Amino acid sequence: MAEQVVEHFEDMEKQAHAARLGMWIFLASEVLFFSGLFALYTTYRTEHPHGFGVAVEHNTLAWGSINTGVLLVSSYTVALGVHELRRGRQRTSALLVGVTIFLGACFLGIKTGEYLKHFGEGIYPGGVGDFYREHGEPGTKMFFTLYYCMTGLHAVHVFAGMCVLGFLLWKIVRREIGEWAPHPLAIGAVYWHLVDVIWIFLWPLFYLIPGGSVR
Amino acid sequence: MTSFEHDVSARSLFFTWLALMLLAGLSLALRFAHIGAFSFPVALGIAFVKALLVALVFMELAFEKPTVRFALLAGVTLLSVMLSLMVADVLTRTIPPLEDPPGTAQRYHG
Repeated sequence: MAEQVVEHFEDMEKQAHAARLGMWIFLASEVLFFSGLFALYTTYRTEHPHGFGVAVEHNTLAWGSINTGVLLVSSYTVALGVHELRRGRQRTSALLVGVTIFLGACFLGIKTGEYLKHFGEGIYPGGVGDFYREHGEPGTKMFFTLYYCMTGLHAVHVFAGMCVLGFLLWKIVRREIGEWAPHPLAIGAVYWHLVDVIWIFLWPLFYLIPGGSVR
Repeated sequence: MTSFEHDVSARSLFFTWLALMLLAGLSLALRFAHIGAFSFPVALGIAFVKALLVALVFMELAFEKPTVRFALLAGVTLLSVMLSLMVADVLTRTIPPLEDPPGTAQRYHG
């Protein structure tokens, strides 16, 4: 059934605004949710600048950087998908949302590859593995445990975003949302962009800031 | 086209994306530039600019109503208060000397 104004709203505009506000309140709580882990990272990096530097140099920089590109492109495609839906170009919009979901899957695939590479090198969460015997600097265990926690939690969010976009894609195809009510896709896209923003901060913290840079 | 939704032009979307990719490239290039102690603030500064671009254009925050901005502002304000208090603690910590408190040595080791 096509998107309709429910009885407690005067018109679609007010309904869309309420939905948008709800999403933003949720996103603010998500930011606070992730910030606990960012705070842990800050504390441990301050206490063990050397160990964190050593660990960063052993991370999979190339794959992580490719993943940054993948997410940035996916944010662009979904934003363009919203733009096309508002113009009433249903098919182009559906295609762009499909591409976004595909890019999300690529991201998760690359991430899985990275985890497997770490396992091969003896880096497991919780400071278990042969890697720490060679690199016993205090902080390396904390770095990689935080790495697994934060990228893992982020990956869960990517998967959730793919489910949300999949549901919206189905709605576009069935013409339940469109030019007359494009806001469900716009709101879903906002969630996807938040997932991108979180990665924008994870990437420098876990891949880019090398040793020698204290704090 | 619906009247109530602000539409961001395809042109703005493209240039925002281009800026994001260039900033990511700059961030990656600086990884190898060995700028020492500056790498932390510079990398996070670039990340902050990228996040701002995504929020303002892709997430359409620049065109949102005040109520929506307020919701985010509440989260960000709370975040900055808690993070700054925490950082103020962590950065000013000194390891206390392992000594007996004054006046107690006699009693414990006497």
